[in-house]
Amino acid sequence: MSTTRKRVYGYLAEFKSASALYKAAEKVRDAGFSKWDCYTPYPVHGLDGAMGLKRSILPWFVFFGGMTGTATAFTLAYYTQVVLYPTVVQAKPTNIFTIPAFFPVMFELTILFAGFTVLFGLLGLIQLPRLNHPLFASKQFHRATDDGFFIAIEARDEKFSPQGTRDLLADIGGENIELVEEEQD
Amino acid sequence: MSHHVTSSDIAIHGDHLDKSKVSTLKTILLIVAGIGTIVSLLALFGVFGQFFQGTYAYSWVFAYYFFLTLSIGGVFWTLLHNVSNSGWGTSVRRTFENLGSTFPWIFLFGIPLLFPQVNQYLFEWMNIHRATPDGQTVKEHLHHADHLLYNKQWFMNIPFWLGRFAFYGIGLSFVIWFLRKLSTAQDTDPKPGVERVLRARYHSTYALIIFALTITFTGFDFLMGQDYKWFSTMWGVYLFAGTALNSMAVIVLICTWLISKGHLKHVTGPEHFHIMGKLMFAFTTFWAYITFSQYFLIWYANITEETSYFLIRNTGNWNIGMICLVVFHFVVPFVVLLQAWLKKNPKYLSIVAVFSLCMHALDHYLITIPERGVSLGKIKPEVFGDITTSIPGAFWGDIFAFVTIGAAFLFVLLRALGQHSLYPNRDPRILESANLSN
Repeated sequence: MSTTRKRVYGYLAEFKSASALYKAAEKVRDAGFSKWDCYTPYPVHGLDGAMGLKRSILPWFVFFGGMTGTATAFTLAYYTQVVLYPTVVQAKPTNIFTIPAFFPVMFELTILFAGFTVLFGLLGLIQLPRLNHPLFASKQFHRATDDGFFIAIEARDEKFSPQGTRDLLADIGGENIELVEEEQD
Repeated sequence: MSHHVTSSDIAIHGDHLDKSKVSTLKTILLIVAGIGTIVSLLALFGVFGQFFQGTYAYSWVFAYYFFLTLSIGGVFWTLLHNVSNSGWGTSVRRTFENLGSTFPWIFLFGIPLLFPQVNQYLFEWMNIHRATPDGQTVKEHLHHADHLLYNKQWFMNIPFWLGRFAFYGIGLSFVIWFLRKLSTAQDTDPKPGVERVLRARYHSTYALIIFALTITFTGFDFLMGQDYKWFSTMWGVYLFAGTALNSMAVIVLICTWLISKGHLKHVTGPEHFHIMGKLMFAFTTFWAYITFSQYFLIWYANITEETSYFLIRNTGNWNIGMICLVVFHFVVPFVVLLQAWLKKNPKYLSIVAVFSLCMHALDHYLITIPERGVSLGKIKPEVFGDITTSIPGAFWGDIFAFVTIGAAFLFVLLRALGQHSLYPNRDPRILESANLSN
């Protein structure tokens, strides 16, 4: 028997189906929670709206990432081909009017930088990769990759209360409600 | 969509345009188109003299091909929607079909091009073919007259040209007539099944080939043929990019107009405009990609036959137009259409659509018109003077031709919109489309 005090992660509740989860998510959203999430075996259409998620900031990262790519490619091509070592190909000019020759590189680097920003920006925003997640302590949570639909409300949410949140989850149709505690190492 | 659309929200007998509300507009358009066509025919057949005949022939091709691309684009979106088994656009598919159904009518405006009185100013190669002396075959004549035409004779000969002309008109007209009939027959069928949807999908497959041949080779025959020495292997796809983009712009405008008149209720909303905006965005980028690639290949290879196109268009004030295309046909719409909220708003998206159509007009103006001063000065210097970048005063003919065919285009479009329900109200996928979310 352990006497150490564990940190509470939050409540985990299971829902019968995707549509039950969808309706429950709308109610959790309307109750004003902000630190909570849904876990489903497959993507549920429109769940982001039901959860009241705001539009991600990622597109802005990608836009400026892409622009950085364009600028990098232009600088690289212009500096090497015009300033540093002017290369005359088929009597083409070596000045700003050489720019059509740089377009393919500018295009490619725009795509490359935008692509990198998507990947790394996304990983940063969703905080992956990580070694563990507190919810893995739950014995039922592995079913989220099979046939379980879950909502987890975190204890660090301002609206969280040990009894009130539990009642709310029960009211909106949650089953197998479980208080998840973080594992000790 | 504020709530889940169910079959009780669908107009069971169809959503029909009130014809009496547009009848005045239609009458005005018909009068403008009628008078314009009569005056145009008189000009094209030389009643006002050779100067107007020659310059107006180019005005006519410019206006004709501009509106032809919009009609062909309507057929394209219909075919693509059917063949890709799409569910999102069922509520706007009728608009695709209505736009496409203008094709047979608009195509008729190309008939003057069949006559030597008109095409002698446009297609110099035909003049060389016709100059064959008695007792010689065309092939023998070309062997001495122009070796390039001798080698191109298998494709560029007048009988084959006339045959192709008939193929474009009959082929695509039949395709859109058949598909639209299949679709509209569903509206009143008491037992609408999936059979018509599957048939439309099946027949759209090979019809896409007819479409591809039409957009490519009308471009070759009517536009590229104006300078028989010039060629570009990207010509067909370049015209297609502008066609797909701007017919979608027209579809956006029609849908916005219909919604403002209280039609397409419950079935077409911001989500549909979002998708149509995304398609416009995609084809804005595609147009830029293709147009730049064409320029780039010609610029790099620097072959005399190929560079002539850009030499003419990058000379004098035409160059301003070409630079405008780079900025306003690509950069500005690209940045503007990146916003998701804007694409979901029919009004803002319509502003972009109108802007895009203006740029399409500039694009096609720069395809046809710079050739006028060069070709006419070569064909008949005694009438048109020396080879020049542009012929003063001919600009008014361009506007006149544009208004004439534009009025006819709007007339047949309004007529098509009034003929049947504005969305396929008994299509099996109409609810899927109405509840679209993306």
